[in-house]
Amino acid sequence: MVNTLLEKQALTLGFMPLTDSAPLVVAKEFGFFEKYGLDVTLEKQNSWATMRDKICTGLLDAAQMLAPMPIASSLGVDGQRIPMITPLVLSRNGNAITLGKKWYPLLGEHQLPEGQPVNAEAIKPLVALKQQQGEKLKLATVFPYSCHYYQLLDWLTNAGIDLEQIEILIIPPGNMTTALKLGHIDGFCVGGPWNAFAVRAHLGFTGVTSSDIWVDFPEKVLGMLASWQLQNPQTCKALVQALNEACHWLESIPNRFEAAQILSQSQYLNMDLNIIAPSLLGSCLTFKDLPPRQIDTYNQFADSESLQLNCPNIEDGRWLLEAMQKAGHLADPEQAAAQLPHIYRPDLFQQYFE
Amino acid sequence: MSISNSDTQPLLKLLLVDYNSHKTHILSEALDSEYYQIEWASSSGMSLLHRVKESKPDIIIIDIESPDRDMLDSLNVLNTAAPKPVVMFSEDQDSEIIQELVKAGVSAYITGDVATSRVRSIIEVALARFQEHQNLKQELADTKQKLSSQKVIEQAKIWLMENKHCSEKQAYHHIRKIAMDNSQKMEDVAKNILSLATMLGGNHG
Repeated sequence: MVNTLLEKQALTLGFMPLTDSAPLVVAKEFGFFEKYGLDVTLEKQNSWATMRDKICTGLLDAAQMLAPMPIASSLGVDGQRIPMITPLVLSRNGNAITLGKKWYPLLGEHQLPEGQPVNAEAIKPLVALKQQQGEKLKLATVFPYSCHYYQLLDWLTNAGIDLEQIEILIIPPGNMTTALKLGHIDGFCVGGPWNAFAVRAHLGFTGVTSSDIWVDFPEKVLGMLASWQLQNPQTCKALVQALNEACHWLESIPNRFEAAQILSQSQYLNMDLNIIAPSLLGSCLTFKDLPPRQIDTYNQFADSESLQLNCPNIEDGRWLLEAMQKAGHLADPEQAAAQLPHIYRPDLFQQYFE
Repeated sequence: MSISNSDTQPLLKLLLVDYNSHKTHILSEALDSEYYQIEWASSSGMSLLHRVKESKPDIIIIDIESPDRDMLDSLNVLNTAAPKPVVMFSEDQDSEIIQELVKAGVSAYITGDVATSRVRSIIEVALARFQEHQNLKQELADTKQKLSSQKVIEQAKIWLMENKHCSEKQAYHHIRKIAMDNSQKMEDVAKNILSLATMLGGNHG
């Protein structure tokens, strides 16, 4: 179908091989992009920073981004100040904290209570043990300007753990489980499929998901240059409508199973279905012989009752600014808050779905 | 190896992260051993991180498609190691894109086949840009420091106003006078006032 209104029909979108890339993959495979007149090429990425740079240079038109990335880029906290926007939230929740299996016995009375998350209180004995050995507990995540990173900090500090006693590292997701296996790190906070991978491989246990730390918070957003949207307003609208439709298609469980099958293919996640499917079906694998936790909103892409779930709202942006300040990424969130309406764009979202 | 070149500049130590051996080979051919001491790292993930900590390179050179890039970039953010400029290279020959990439915060950008003379200038630009970024980060740290010292002075003022029944202006002048008389920073005077206040059980919310 040719849509003569579009400024641009052939688009290249960046995605990371993660479970919550589902909306992009579904929109491509089930013809939602096509329905809105777009011819989309999905390009798999290896690094968040490189994806950001490719957006800045126009090598990519838009991408699946970590929710803080458009903010970090627009404020220039990660280098150059490059104005970016998000007109759509692609997913909420989806991360979890997995610790090495050898630490499980040390949790004592805090061992995975059935159906409940593990409070960071439980890892104080680990932190103390490491200290006796003259070391710090090493926890990894995938990118500094990410919800994973901020959620990990909050999980620890909410239980009164001094961050001075923890070493936080950034490691590529594909190397995470190996690092855990070799004992180079003691645990990690990542998004699917890597927590399930670690549990299936019996390398660790997943004690807490991001929805236990920050309830229903935006995790991945559609990100692009502010200038790209100005130059391609109709294309941007079509892109958001197509992806939003894919998010709603993902509301049904049978559809999610179908999505998991496609995601498992080599051009996408290249991983077993039994690792990808659980979180999509609302199940959090916990530990080898223990029952999984049922978390219906483990990966949330839409809400059949309301459009609000996919709308990037300013309040969520404010929350992120505070998280960034706590992490030492930002000096003055108050000053930055004035910029938010130019980055998180509920106005565009509402305009598209009037 | 500590040979110095003619103007007794120490050699710059480069760590080449080998993600695509063909590209890194071309690149190392282009690097002038008179200026650079080149080391290779073929590992990924944690072992690469250890390698960086051990070898303490001045510059890391990495392929733009390497999954290790976020990890190396983050050394600048997390302060777990001395920050390093990371130089990228790629087979992309489009100079406009390269310009843009450099603008976008990549320290420098080296293409697949590149003249030796250019490599040196690219690396020098990378170092300069990196320094610029470090200065910005220092500024951020200073701002944070300033904010916290303002907060301390603010709190001390409030305590003085409440307990000495003076105006805000008088409280400020009081702190400033003590600072000047004792050639101390206002922040330190404020801290002293507050610790005294704590000792006296005063309220300094």
